[in-house]
Amino acid sequence: MRQALYLCAACVLGLFVGLAAWQRGAATFIRGAPSHALSNPEDGGIANGSYTNKYFGLSYRPPQGWIEGEAGADPSDSGYYVLTTLIPDSELDATILVAAQDMFFGSDTRASLSATTHDFQQAVSSIDGMTIDRATTEVKIGGHPFFRVDYSGVGLFRGAISTEIRCHVVSFNLTAREPALLERLAESLNDLSFAAPGLEPSPPPCVKDYAIDDNVLRKVVPVPAEPKFTSIPVRIIVGADGSVKHVHVIRATADQRHNIEEALYQWKLKPYQVGGRPSPIETGLVFKFTSDK
Amino acid sequence: MARPQSVWGCSLASVIVMLGATVLSQSAAAQLAQSQSRNGGGGTSSSGQQAVDPGVRSGTSSAGGPLPGLSQAQLNFFNAAQTRFEEVDTVSSGLGPRFNLNSCSGCHAQPSTGGSSPPTNPEVAVATLMGAHNVVPPFVTANGPIREARFIRNPDGTPDGGVHDLFVISGRSDASGCNIQQPNFAAAIAANNIIYRIPTPLFGLGLVENTSDLALENAFAANAHQKRSLGISGNFNHSGNTGNITRFGWKAQNPSLLVFSGEAYNVEMGVTNDAFPNKRETNPGCQYNSLPEDTTNLTNTTSSGSPASDYSSDIVNFAAFMRMLAPPTPGSSGTPAVAQASSLTSTASSTTASTQSSSSTTAASTQVASADNTSVLSVAAGNSSSSAAATVSASSAASITRGQQVFANIGCQGCHVINQTTGYSELGPAQTNVTFQPLSDFALHDMGSGLADGVSQGSSTGRQFRSAPLWGVGQRVFFLHDGRTNDLNVAIREHESSGSEANSVVRNYYMLSVSDRQALLNYLRSL
Repeated sequence: MRQALYLCAACVLGLFVGLAAWQRGAATFIRGAPSHALSNPEDGGIANGSYTNKYFGLSYRPPQGWIEGEAGADPSDSGYYVLTTLIPDSELDATILVAAQDMFFGSDTRASLSATTHDFQQAVSSIDGMTIDRATTEVKIGGHPFFRVDYSGVGLFRGAISTEIRCHVVSFNLTAREPALLERLAESLNDLSFAAPGLEPSPPPCVKDYAIDDNVLRKVVPVPAEPKFTSIPVRIIVGADGSVKHVHVIRATADQRHNIEEALYQWKLKPYQVGGRPSPIETGLVFKFTSDK
Repeated sequence: MARPQSVWGCSLASVIVMLGATVLSQSAAAQLAQSQSRNGGGGTSSSGQQAVDPGVRSGTSSAGGPLPGLSQAQLNFFNAAQTRFEEVDTVSSGLGPRFNLNSCSGCHAQPSTGGSSPPTNPEVAVATLMGAHNVVPPFVTANGPIREARFIRNPDGTPDGGVHDLFVISGRSDASGCNIQQPNFAAAIAANNIIYRIPTPLFGLGLVENTSDLALENAFAANAHQKRSLGISGNFNHSGNTGNITRFGWKAQNPSLLVFSGEAYNVEMGVTNDAFPNKRETNPGCQYNSLPEDTTNLTNTTSSGSPASDYSSDIVNFAAFMRMLAPPTPGSSGTPAVAQASSLTSTASSTTASTQSSSSTTAASTQVASADNTSVLSVAAGNSSSSAAATVSASSAASITRGQQVFANIGCQGCHVINQTTGYSELGPAQTNVTFQPLSDFALHDMGSGLADGVSQGSSTGRQFRSAPLWGVGQRVFFLHDGRTNDLNVAIREHESSGSEANSVVRNYYMLSVSDRQALLNYLRSL
């Protein structure tokens, strides 16, 4: 099914890309273009002691004395984001990793948060020496449904507390040397706010696999750019009139990003209907430039 | 082409045997102290205890023999190919005009032929061999790692990334008339425009080559949930021509052992071959041979006992040697590599000399066939049967077992995936449906600003590297792509920096008890 998502732009470029040239190829993948008017998942940050993310509309104030740790990696080709990492400014006895997985992408993404969390529990329980201390449990934080799993091994006590926002699994991954400290970290999430200042009003509904087949009325194929055979996940916001209002190329080189944005802003889709009326939506698609001999 | 025998290479091997102990001492201690302060004593307990790298595992080499289960014809090919791999090149056989060393086995030497950088650097001696008047660059030292140099940018600012060989043949007695100069390394260093790489170990690579793209993708996806809880993502590098997963080299930039051989023969030694038939240095005054210098032999002048080897080019022999080279044997079954946590003021490492065994020609099979006809190659090696290894004490074995559990629990296995499985192989049962333990997913991961080298290859960025296979790490001397450390504690610490996918795992490491950190190091040195 995912194959249908892939728009493989046939790349009839020169066939003389020799093996040596392959060794010397250059690729620099960069984060989302900064000029977008709308925010993207990776745009959050620490300000006034709180982590705020306008895209997800959440704000979290870590425990007193905590600071931002080393940044994580750039967004991945499967739509995975390290949003922030938080550590105590004194002894390293606990950490918090806030991450997000785009549910449109990734080889093992499931349709529901519940299924995803159960999969996670199954995965960690299979690790030698790991114990499930709290099986998957639904909890409410800030009025939002979350799923929590606690597990421990080799003296580290961990909790994964996840919710779904805009078709992303947003997870708070807590690690502590002591169970009591883990619980204090979990309690700190009670201060999560889902009304962050500057939050985008009424984000559009997210619909998987909408930009395919007959839903696309006008398609412009992006000009291929090196390197080939890399997956390039893209999120777009489609207006009620079917035009593309926002393009977020999640991971690509500068040339790939430019070419994809240039093409997608020329696309026209069937307006999505909500209650019989046209509605803007957010959807995703994957590009892969391939060799075609 | 016929080659002179490896006199220089053999003497080098003798030197290597003697000098294993001298490498890890002061520098390791200094680096470790730096690690402690940066992580708030992260490697140290409140009682002042710290985990220490046990150092290079003592005893005979745990690697270097052929895969178990090879036929006699395959063994003959392996042995003859190893001889080719150990030959020393001169200008008449293709060396230069620019080069890093004059034999494959000179770089791939630790703990035996096919390995990585030995404790004593042969680049120092080869700089002035046969009258050459090369200046040894400052990043190459007698007891440091073998290094190649790459420039990050061209003079016009565009990406370079290519290898700039350390030495030239000018002045050698077999290169009269050649007057080219070495690259200006001082300027590159001053401009912060140079990065280094050390040789990758070659043990077990035939198994890696024979693992299908699908199998790699499945192994990569199998631990996706754990990775996402740790900030780990990653992606494969692909051939720009075929789209296949590439998997050899520090950035997984090479698709096959044959390409790997051909490229290294040309780039590192200057020998042109059927895969890379042209000299990189085209100065007319430094050309001595018809090209390519290494090609298929139409007549057998070697009579090695393997006609396949005799008629084949060097690069085919090199690829065959690597393809049939067994993976390293973990030491837990024979040789201890265990240290107790020590006080912060003690020497960081208790390294002892590694001994380099001579290459074996007998395959000692430890392959176990399971009911589903899938072989489990848990302790396969061709030359370990004569090991006089000490017995692992109960406490040591327990520490190693605990260390393996720590390795999995804190997330090392997110990238250093323990098991991979081959498909059907032309080599037969030695390589068909074999489950092996490279401790790598062979994917690229962002290692952050601290390890970034600014060089892109294929789809890898300047911050991405392939998960280094950890099999055999117990007998490795130098770690990380540029060999910047010989201390596992420092190597782990260097995984943490801005943008690194390993940050959460390293933090987990520093939150462990000292005994668990020690157990992890003991486990790694048992590999």
